[in-house]
Amino acid sequence: MAPSDVQDESQARANEETLTALVDEYSGAMYRVAYSVVRNATDAEDAVQEAFVRVLRHRDTLHEVRDYRVWLIRIVWNIVLDRKRRAKTRPETDDIADLARVLPATGLSAEARASAAQHHAKVLACVEQLPTKEREVLLLSAFEDLSSVEIAAVLEITESSVRSRLFRARNLMADLLHHSRSGQ
Amino acid sequence: MTFADRNANERMRAGLIADAEATLRLVASQPVPEGLEERMKAALKNAPRTGRVLAWPGSGGTRGWMQSTLVRTAAAAAIVFVVAGGGWGVYSHVKPAETARVIEMPKRVAAPGQFSSAGAMRTPNGTVPAPTSDVSKDEKDKPAGKSLKAKKPSRAKPGAIKSLPKR
Repeated sequence: MAPSDVQDESQARANEETLTALVDEYSGAMYRVAYSVVRNATDAEDAVQEAFVRVLRHRDTLHEVRDYRVWLIRIVWNIVLDRKRRAKTRPETDDIADLARVLPATGLSAEARASAAQHHAKVLACVEQLPTKEREVLLLSAFEDLSSVEIAAVLEITESSVRSRLFRARNLMADLLHHSRSGQ
Repeated sequence: MTFADRNANERMRAGLIADAEATLRLVASQPVPEGLEERMKAALKNAPRTGRVLAWPGSGGTRGWMQSTLVRTAAAAAIVFVVAGGGWGVYSHVKPAETARVIEMPKRVAAPGQFSSAGAMRTPNGTVPAPTSDVSKDEKDKPAGKSLKAKKPSRAKPGAIKSLPKR
């Protein structure tokens, strides 16, 4: 066996190991990011799988990646946004109602749980009314382990843009929630 | 609006934002389904290893003939040779169009005290087709010089007495 063959094989083995480690470490975070957009467990899992298949195709360039977490989240983020854009025909209201029902409300009475589900549904409906840029930043900001620098890297914008969009998103959310509350 | 009212409004808005963010955090902290990592690993094992479109033929794990650097270089050189040869063939068969022969006419400059040409342009003979239908058969038979003489318009007024020929 030629020395270059041995080197290639060891490189391939190292890439496989890196990929397995990435699956173990980041598939949970990727799933949550995907779920926050598609709001469906099966779709979110599909998106994560597609992201890893893409990574597999570029496994030879894995050593060039600086921050695996941000890189993987960006891949899955783009996949879910693309899927959501393509599946516009599906009504958003169904997803919101399902999600509001699923959200944890332990230690609450049945009445309080129903009220909490209603509140969650209202909030999620208001999030859907936000402009795309503001909505994206607000969704990613909910992930406590993502800093504004990392959000900027995922969205490929500057950190100051992240902060200004987040400010606008919060103000708009307050207005929307206030209107929906006073409209009742 | 008083300061107290504004303060209350601000507090109310902050509460609404906090509620909304709490909901989004709940969404973001959804439990990951059990066995997700194992399913991902299994999917990766079954997934195709290379992109289908740009993959070299025979590169699926085994080192095919196209993996050799020498063969690749030779193939690339052959492609360059064919493309360049084709380009040269086309270039050598196409002659560039000859440029039109243009004789520049000197600009007529009016001498001081004379009338200008008022932008009139001289049309060279031959650009306008000469009328042939007016020319009679007799004129055709005559020599060119005489014909021109006959065509020359008389300056004498109609009805004027012609001068007698000298003896």
